[in-house]
Amino acid sequence: MRPKMQLFSRAFARLLLALCLCPAFATTAAEELLPFKDAQQQALYRELTAELRCPKCQNQNIADSNAVVAVDMREKTYQLVQQGQNKEQVIDYMKQRYGDFVHYQPPVQWSTIWLWLAPLLLLAGLFWVMLQKQQKVQQLQQTDAVDPELEQKLQAMIEQAMAEKSSKEPD
Amino acid sequence: MRKSLFFIPFVLFIALAAFLFSGLFSDPRQHGSALVSKPLPAFLLPDLMAPQRMLSADDLKGKVYLLNVWGLWCPTCNAELGFLTELRQQGIEIVGLYYVQPQDSAFGETFDLAALQKDVAKKLAEQGNPYQLNILDEKRSLIFDLGVTGAPETFLIDAQGQIRAHHVGDINPQNWPALAAQYQAVLQEAQAAAALTQQSIGATNAP
Repeated sequence: MRPKMQLFSRAFARLLLALCLCPAFATTAAEELLPFKDAQQQALYRELTAELRCPKCQNQNIADSNAVVAVDMREKTYQLVQQGQNKEQVIDYMKQRYGDFVHYQPPVQWSTIWLWLAPLLLLAGLFWVMLQKQQKVQQLQQTDAVDPELEQKLQAMIEQAMAEKSSKEPD
Repeated sequence: MRKSLFFIPFVLFIALAAFLFSGLFSDPRQHGSALVSKPLPAFLLPDLMAPQRMLSADDLKGKVYLLNVWGLWCPTCNAELGFLTELRQQGIEIVGLYYVQPQDSAFGETFDLAALQKDVAKKLAEQGNPYQLNILDEKRSLIFDLGVTGAPETFLIDAQGQIRAHHVGDINPQNWPALAAQYQAVLQEAQAAAALTQQSIGATNAP
């Protein structure tokens, strides 16, 4: 009985291992469908499909989407990369057809300038408020010039109160 | 001075609230077209019903028309056929651009032109035929160059072959008036230009 069990568990472990490796084989198989000249082109293709946005979908890049338009865009990206076009050229090609929407990095324009200006303005505003507060505190400190006579009186009162308190306390 | 400062956060809040509120009514599928006021991209594609006849952008120049991207696989396009047929009867020129979906060869799917022609003819006989002709874009090359994301989509093309409007989604009695106004404006423009050239020809011919 025992060796039989062992055999069974070993076979099960092997099956599990094979199953675990399956997705890895699947991905390598899918990648083999797109042969690249060199690793650089492959990296560029990966970068572009991650940065280009599917115009049909709500927030998916073309690498993620299987919409017909995303599939066509991936294919076009592959062709253009193979032709030796650089990143800028491929993005321009897509923008000419699908507009600025197609790239996740928005261009700096009058309508989009606020994306950069707003955080800076907010920071500047915050800085200004902090500066104002600082000045106020300094002003208060300056006007509250210490009166030595008053200080002495206060010190005397504190000492007196302490003495009274300790005398009242039972042993 | 102090009081006005007190209102700054309030004003900022109102501005932000108004901005976000307006976002509730915006259509995320509408993101402008890169093609408007550009010429129709060059192409050389067969006529769906007479594939030996190749069509190019120049063949379509000289008249104002709607270029309607559609496919039998697209239910919204089929729903639109009736209304588009009405528009054709009113004298609107409509050219179809047939969107062929990719075939998955792994499932044994192949492109069968004869079957497609038969199905299209049957469909148009049933629902009405709004098209003067249909351009067959099997590889979606013109469709890609036009920045089409799906079907139906419609382009308004002027007599010079320039794209004047890009409408995403179906054309229906509710949204047609806006597009119709554009169509009429472009048509009048074309007629005025035609009258002007005729006048100038007349002037040069006159003794």
